[in-house]
Amino acid sequence: MKMNLTKTRIISLISTILLIVIWKIASVFYNSELILPSPESTLITTIKLISSKGFLLIISATILRGLAGFAISFILGVGLGIFAGINSSFNAFLKPILVTIRSTPVISLILLALIWFNVETVAVFIAFLTMFPFICTNVIDGIKDINPELIEMSTIYKVDKTKIIKEVYLPAITPFIFSGVSSAMGFGWRAVIIGEVLSQPQFGIGTLMQTAQTFLLVNEVIAWTIIAIIISYLFELIIRKTQKRIVVWK
Amino acid sequence: MSLKIKNLNKSFQDINLFQDFNFEVQENTITCILGPSGCGKTTLLNIISNTLEKDSGEFSGFDDKVISYIFQEPRLLPWKTVKENISFVINNQRLTEEKNEIIKKYLRLVELDDFADYYPSKLSGGMKQRVAIARAFSYSSDLILMDEPLKALDLKLKLNLIKAFRRIWQVDKRTVLFVTHDIDEALLLGNDIYVFSKAPVQIKKHFAITEKDRTLNNPEIVKLKNEIWDVME
Repeated sequence: MKMNLTKTRIISLISTILLIVIWKIASVFYNSELILPSPESTLITTIKLISSKGFLLIISATILRGLAGFAISFILGVGLGIFAGINSSFNAFLKPILVTIRSTPVISLILLALIWFNVETVAVFIAFLTMFPFICTNVIDGIKDINPELIEMSTIYKVDKTKIIKEVYLPAITPFIFSGVSSAMGFGWRAVIIGEVLSQPQFGIGTLMQTAQTFLLVNEVIAWTIIAIIISYLFELIIRKTQKRIVVWK
Repeated sequence: MSLKIKNLNKSFQDINLFQDFNFEVQENTITCILGPSGCGKTTLLNIISNTLEKDSGEFSGFDDKVISYIFQEPRLLPWKTVKENISFVINNQRLTEEKNEIIKKYLRLVELDDFADYYPSKLSGGMKQRVAIARAFSYSSDLILMDEPLKALDLKLKLNLIKAFRRIWQVDKRTVLFVTHDIDEALLLGNDIYVFSKAPVQIKKHFAITEKDRTLNNPEIVKLKNEIWDVME
């Protein structure tokens, strides 16, 4: 088992290195920092950006927007999801709404949000709309997956309703909530940054990416992208760690 | 004292499971119901435990009875440890310390005291069913309903579990109503055995077992087994 783990890690490492090598070859081929900067100059730019004044402010703004969108999606997604999972009429009502949100192109949402909201909240709204359906759908699936025999057992042993919700329903849907949160976050960060690019709030990764693009600073665009990937990855790690600590029974 | 069912009627769609059915369970004994699959044994337990409504019928002695149920499957909550699973059903009945004592006592009787903090996923099928037995006894009930709890287990585990069950029951003689289609289980466990017919259910015959030595090769038990076979044919 341990052998396999190191083996998969080595393979993942090889694929990452391969990606960088291809990048390097392409940059040598184009031989222009304006079109495709080399990996090493991009790395230097990234470090420069990270150590620059205001960096924390910029990424905090983006992260806060993502988290605000996430918090709203989480509360609404879990709440409405539980209700829809228990009540089939509400599920029928909610379904078309979820499908519509999910199939609407993100760019349409942004264009409309630009008209409806102020620049600071566009990205939050977009993050919410991208994340909400994932969380909600997963919670609904989780409730449907609950073994009715466990509920019957609890009822026969006269366990009260609130305790059944807290100690049977909630733990049963927890793994589903985590997988919903994980996919939601993956899409959420991308949506936040697209939202920032188009709405241009005062601080934000998207704002800076747009500025860099305008001045043809390709290395900065790529550097900000790398920073965005790292943020997204860190949150994925946090989610996985939390899941491991909470879902201990598997 | 006994629990009585009088003129029970229950049908599902076109099938008449019970028609003016009468039955009596002696308190503080183990009553076995032996019958073919689909004859309505589980339905009877579900009506008694109020998970299913009867069409009509008179029940006496059941009203104030608290019921424990041992199902075909262990039905343990996967996210709770053995101890927490038991505590889940007895929480509101007792104080914490008293509760812990009870859990300990019954886990010891099913020989799982070392596994109190294990999650069900780490236990074998037989162990899980033993937890379910401990849970049923830890719950301060007057009546324990058992719906073929040994069905999914192999012979050795079955005998083990029957032993564990009898050991607990000797200490704590509750009224038990045990449903099975396996003659051996009924012979090893029951004080009374009722053989049910196919639906609509009639009691074909009642056997009272007084024999102390419950082993399958005891001549008395073998004789009884043959008699039951004849009735069931």
